[in-house]
Amino acid sequence: MFQLTAMDIQNTQSQMRKGVLEFCILSIINRGEVYPSDIIDQMKAANLHILEGTLYPLLTRLKNAGLLNYRWVESVSGPPRKYFVMTDAGKEAFFVLLQTWNDMANAVSLLTQPQPPTPNTEA
Amino acid sequence: MKKVININFQGRILPIEEASYETLKQYIESLRQYFDAEEGRDEIINDIECRIAELCDDRLKKGAVCITEDDMRLIIESIGRPADFEAQDGFEATTSANASNANQGQFSDNNENPKRLYRDEQNKVIGGVCAGIANYLKLDPLLVRVLWILLFGISFFAYVLLWIAVPNTSTTQIGSARKRLFRDIDTKVIGGVCAGLSKYFDVKVIYIRLLFLVPTILLVFNWNHFHLFQFWEFDDFPNFIELTFSPSAVFVYIVLWLVLPEAKTTADKLEMRGEKVDINSIKNTIQTDMEGFGKRAQSWGSSFDKYKKSAGENGKNESQTATTASNAVPEPAQRRGCLHFAGRTITILFKAFVYFVLGIITISLLAALFGVGIVATGLLPLRRFILEDGAHNWYAYAIIVFFIWVPVIGIVTAIIRKIAGIKKANVWVRGGFWSLWALSWIFIPLFLATLTKSFSKQNDPREQSYTLPNPKVNYLEVSAQPKPKYYNHTWLKIEPFTSYLDQDTAYVRNLRIRIVKAASDSFEVKYVRISNGKTLQESERLASLINFELQQKDSTLLLDKGIAINKTDKFRNQHVIMTLAVPVGKRFKISNKGWAQVNVRVNKNGWRSETNSGFIINDGFDGDDWDRNIDTEAFDYDHDVEYIMTPTGLERVDGVKASNDDKENPEALKNRLEELKRESEQIEKDLKKTWEQKQKEADDLKKQLDKKGDNLNRNSTKKESSVSDTVKAIAFGFDAIKLLVSRFQS
Repeated sequence: MFQLTAMDIQNTQSQMRKGVLEFCILSIINRGEVYPSDIIDQMKAANLHILEGTLYPLLTRLKNAGLLNYRWVESVSGPPRKYFVMTDAGKEAFFVLLQTWNDMANAVSLLTQPQPPTPNTEA
Repeated sequence: MKKVININFQGRILPIEEASYETLKQYIESLRQYFDAEEGRDEIINDIECRIAELCDDRLKKGAVCITEDDMRLIIESIGRPADFEAQDGFEATTSANASNANQGQFSDNNENPKRLYRDEQNKVIGGVCAGIANYLKLDPLLVRVLWILLFGISFFAYVLLWIAVPNTSTTQIGSARKRLFRDIDTKVIGGVCAGLSKYFDVKVIYIRLLFLVPTILLVFNWNHFHLFQFWEFDDFPNFIELTFSPSAVFVYIVLWLVLPEAKTTADKLEMRGEKVDINSIKNTIQTDMEGFGKRAQSWGSSFDKYKKSAGENGKNESQTATTASNAVPEPAQRRGCLHFAGRTITILFKAFVYFVLGIITISLLAALFGVGIVATGLLPLRRFILEDGAHNWYAYAIIVFFIWVPVIGIVTAIIRKIAGIKKANVWVRGGFWSLWALSWIFIPLFLATLTKSFSKQNDPREQSYTLPNPKVNYLEVSAQPKPKYYNHTWLKIEPFTSYLDQDTAYVRNLRIRIVKAASDSFEVKYVRISNGKTLQESERLASLINFELQQKDSTLLLDKGIAINKTDKFRNQHVIMTLAVPVGKRFKISNKGWAQVNVRVNKNGWRSETNSGFIINDGFDGDDWDRNIDTEAFDYDHDVEYIMTPTGLERVDGVKASNDDKENPEALKNRLEELKRESEQIEKDLKKTWEQKQKEADDLKKQLDKKGDNLNRNSTKKESSVSDTVKAIAFGFDAIKLLVSRFQS
């Protein structure tokens, strides 16, 4: 028999998080040009904690996939900084993901309600 | 009190405590390893570094004097350690070291993840080298260990080297940055092992190369020491060292070539140079490992007792771990790894072999050239006795310098440059060497032509006789005047100018002694003085100048100290042929001390070889058949052996017959001939029989063929032709045998 251990729960959790992480990041960037540490801050504000060490590889991967682009912005102090923006492909992908998310959220909220409003089919 | 250093980090100047600088470096190294297989690794690292630099800058702007260890810790925590990435969003980072095993099975086609050798911390016995290699090769560690122990003698150095130079697995987890050992393919000569080692230990590459090269050369020159599998004979320690050291240089090189990764990326190259490895860090590694070894040994002791008690339980556990292990490592990956490794091993071994052979060829070529050069240069003081003044002399100089020493120096410099890692020789220098060498090719024919000319004529030999004061002795020994002691043992002997060299006169011991049977009952001595020269007159004059004096003391015939050659009367192959007639029943001996050492060797053709010094070119224009091919009277003999003259020929006094069997036993020869005849007759008969048989067969086949239909015609003709071929072949063999027989008969 399959038994859910603490490990497996953690596993599922992180799978869930991982699934939405890219979507979250794309959502933030979709609002406008952004600096990576601002992404962290905005996510923190939304009570989603993420390490910068995981953010950078994700951004690089998305950029290499053609969903993001970056440009160097001069800063007052120190060398120029890398700001990320959406590409057209990124926007498309974002809307597809958004659609999926809305469907999913609906489905999950329906399913997690304590009393299913569906007719009783057990009889 | 802490030391603060300034670093230029991503375009910012940061004052930072040395300890936190170390932490930073280790951290970045751990990231590099974590993102090892990531496509945009360098970009990710760069982004993170930028961010760290920014965070540091913020801290400094808030008033911090420098980046302390606490600051660094906070920064690193906010960005996260590789271990944290896994804990937080483990599956997002598919490139982690732990997950890479699973990945290999799935996407190994496009997975260019370079496999790396680590010392296995978990399964180690001493330093984890064997376990690490086992991991790397996907073999059982036990197998590797057993092999390693079997080869202890020669693998000892490899072990220590790998122990020091290979990082352990904990570096992937903790993220300590150590300098890593790579093969440096940019400055390589063979496999880049030496270059990599030199980068690692921060030693000049030439020393490492010599360290490998010298034992290898010793090995080449000393095959006796190649007791690869006899290292258990530890009786004498120095010998053990020698045994282990010379083959192990090659062995260690091949092992390192196999297991070390190439430094491909810039990051690799940085790591390769890395930070200095000092004696402390080496000591620390080994010390901690050894402490652990003691503990583990104790725990093994106790666990062994436990094992005895609960063997069954353990067995279960083991089988479980075995299954999990086999699950963890996917099968196809394992096989591919093995195959890949086998292929690589073969190519590397082959390469090593080729380089080895090439090396031997180069060394021997160099040695030969060097030897010739030494000899030729050693002959220079003698040139006045051979060469005429003027052009002739200059040709000789030019040849020695350009033809011999220029390539020797060129090759030696090229090798030194290569070993020392100097990239390219100056084009002009190289061109100069080549053109000088090419120049020598002009001088060689000129020199040979002039030299040949001055040796071209030979005088008309006239036999003179020397009357022995006491010819009736029973025994005669031919010897020479003892040499003066001060010049007795030269380290280099150049024949025929063996000795007696002073400023004006050289003495040449160019003498041939023929032994013939005397007609009377007394010893007789006759001699011929021969010389070459540019003209007939010159050769006659030089021959008449040969002072050949003999002296008999009882039973010893003493020769003079040699043919005097001076600067005006040059060496033109003046030589003396002395004929010693030995009466039947009397004994004689040609002593090796005498002049005879040059010229009395006999080769198979029955004529005595000329001067064996090689540099005098007198073959081919010595049209002197008189003493060469038709010398049927004379007998062959060895030096320092006593012979007795018998009616049938020479006989050794110790009972062994002289090697002149053509004349000695004609009866035996006759017997042999008859035997051969009989044999050949037998063969003839046999062949006739088989021939007849084959012909019969052929006839049968023909008959059969006639019966068969048209369709088979083609096939049958083929058969027929093959049969006729065999018949022809047999007939041919028959003829050959006949020919042989007729030869024997004649």
